[in-house]
Amino acid sequence: MVDVVVLWSALVTSSLLSLLTIGLTLTYLTTRVPNFAHGSFASVGIYVGLVTAQVWGFNMYFGLLPGFLIGGAVALMQYLLFLRPMTRRNASVTALMVATIAFDILLIAILNIFADYLQNSFRLNSRYFLLSPYDFQIFGLRGIIVVAPVLVVAVVASLYLLLNKTKFGIAMRATIENPPLAGTIGINTNLVYIVSWFIAGGLAGMAGSVMSLWYIGNTDVGSNFFLISIFAAGVIGGIYNIYGAVIGAFIIGTVQSVLISTLATSFGAGIIPYQPLIPLIAMVATLLIAPSGIMGINYRALKKKLWRKPDAS
Amino acid sequence: MLPSTDLFILNLLATFAPYLIVTVSLNLEYGYGGVPNFGKVLAVAGGAFMAGVIPGRLLAAVLGIDQGNFIGNNSQIIVKENGVLITSASLSLEIFVFTLLVSALVGALLGVIVAYPTRRLRADYLGMVLLAAGQVILVIGNNYPPLIGGTLGVSVPDPFQWAGSFAFAGLTPGDVRNIMAVAFMMIVAVIVFLYARRLTHSPLGRMLRAVRDDENSVLALGKDVERTRFKVIVFASAIAAVAGALYAFYTANVFYATFNRTGWTFWPWVMVILGGAANDWGVVAGTFIFVAVRQTITFYRDVFAPFLPFDVVWLDTLLLGLALLIILIYRPDGLIREKPIKTIKNAKPPFTGTEEAASPDSASERQEQSKGGLVDGLRSLFKSKKKSSPEKG
Repeated sequence: MVDVVVLWSALVTSSLLSLLTIGLTLTYLTTRVPNFAHGSFASVGIYVGLVTAQVWGFNMYFGLLPGFLIGGAVALMQYLLFLRPMTRRNASVTALMVATIAFDILLIAILNIFADYLQNSFRLNSRYFLLSPYDFQIFGLRGIIVVAPVLVVAVVASLYLLLNKTKFGIAMRATIENPPLAGTIGINTNLVYIVSWFIAGGLAGMAGSVMSLWYIGNTDVGSNFFLISIFAAGVIGGIYNIYGAVIGAFIIGTVQSVLISTLATSFGAGIIPYQPLIPLIAMVATLLIAPSGIMGINYRALKKKLWRKPDAS
Repeated sequence: MLPSTDLFILNLLATFAPYLIVTVSLNLEYGYGGVPNFGKVLAVAGGAFMAGVIPGRLLAAVLGIDQGNFIGNNSQIIVKENGVLITSASLSLEIFVFTLLVSALVGALLGVIVAYPTRRLRADYLGMVLLAAGQVILVIGNNYPPLIGGTLGVSVPDPFQWAGSFAFAGLTPGDVRNIMAVAFMMIVAVIVFLYARRLTHSPLGRMLRAVRDDENSVLALGKDVERTRFKVIVFASAIAAVAGALYAFYTANVFYATFNRTGWTFWPWVMVILGGAANDWGVVAGTFIFVAVRQTITFYRDVFAPFLPFDVVWLDTLLLGLALLIILIYRPDGLIREKPIKTIKNAKPPFTGTEEAASPDSASERQEQSKGGLVDGLRSLFKSKKKSSPEKG
């Protein structure tokens, strides 16, 4: 049987991954470019969390709001300073992807400079730190186990309300569906893009600000450890669907944690480091079998195909 | 000892040669074929890992050195092997060439593994999968010690030490060894460059550009788009693997973290875009400028260091990342723009290859459009003079 700790780990991983994947999907929907810097928004959040806990001395969870704001601001900067000028000059998708990678490298460099600054000025351990002692206990569990899923539910609910019940949300959906047409009927598509990038970066920063309660925090956690999982989750959920992103994230997060621990009990602990192979294989398999992801499958057609009775003739 | 300026040039060339091979291969994929390979590090690391695996074990077997635990006794075994290699130039070169060939084969194999399932994907999905694949090889290199020693790394037998016996004019044997190593690396780089140039100037090169620019037209002409893309990834991976092996031979060790995404995927991309994609000399220029800038920053790091409250490494990453973003916005074609390839001498190019092809305007207008680049401008001036004389005469 699978250990309970593994299940908690799966829950926390899936929840944090959901927050990240929702953002990736939002930016992909609006700008049509996979943002390779998305993982580093979470790294930005990790340092917001570190500063909250160790420099300001607040409870870690007070970092959620500054994490959201700073993550959003960074994402907005990426969009306004680099991606928008490029799309206006008709840059190709590949050029935009290169620009996101360049921004990722830029962010990692800035984070490292900031980590050096923290180390020199505040004598903090600013690399490979684990902040789990700053967590609180609830029902005998670590706080993050409860907070992370609650956060996902709250975010999904508020996104649902925003996209379906408000005028601006409907304008957002219209812009995603058909930007020129939305512009024609008077929707401010620029504002829609800006808001989606801000929310995307904000969710990633928020996830990052509590990430080091469970994972070891470093400047490259987002870009090395999480990036591939984010993309895999996005692809599995069907990268055109925000709710699919949550489903994809839970699939990837659960499979990663449970499968690896199951394999480790039968093949030994040496197999654990190969965890990054799972999202890669999952992503390739999804693209080969169902390229539009779980939410993109036409289930009615599939059912017809599978349950069709063999013809008599 | 070499004077520091000569050392600067030597180090510059030692970095330039392997990077030139990688950028030439990336240019084949991205510049000509339109494949956004964000996993360049996969092939490079694959080749470098082979340099850590093959020559050490092979020499131990050939020379009858007790291997025991090759990774555990790695340094002693390599010292023994180097003792033999230093006396035998022919054995050194045989091992060197053999390892490069094996690396190319392994690179091609990695190319097949990653390109076969992904050859049908659209550019953005392809980019994601290739990036993920590039990350995986580092995980394996880190966590599977029998390959390249995991977190400790392995030493590589040095196939250039025999050159030390030719030490002259106050040079130490180490200097001569480095000069010889750089010379061999440059030779391989030049061969790769010339071969890639031949390739892109052949009908295959034109087809690659056509696949990049308009898949549907190529399909209509009965060409196999997926197969072309598959081939170019496999071939480029084989070349890039050679670069990895060369670099490993030069530094005489392999450590997984040397082959990270920034160093061997991102920097080559910066070089190609800086110089100008789908342009052979542009890529050479881009690679050279990039390597020279980085080398200069590293060379003068002691000068910067007192003024900076952080490691100079990050300054260099910051500046070059920012430079790429600025180039992408203001000059996406790079320093030297893509030009039509002339395969028949003294004939008007039938196909211009760039967007300008869409507007079949007069030659003068085309010249005006291409005024942006210095080299372009000079060349069009030169051309117009040449062209105008027979028309008037």
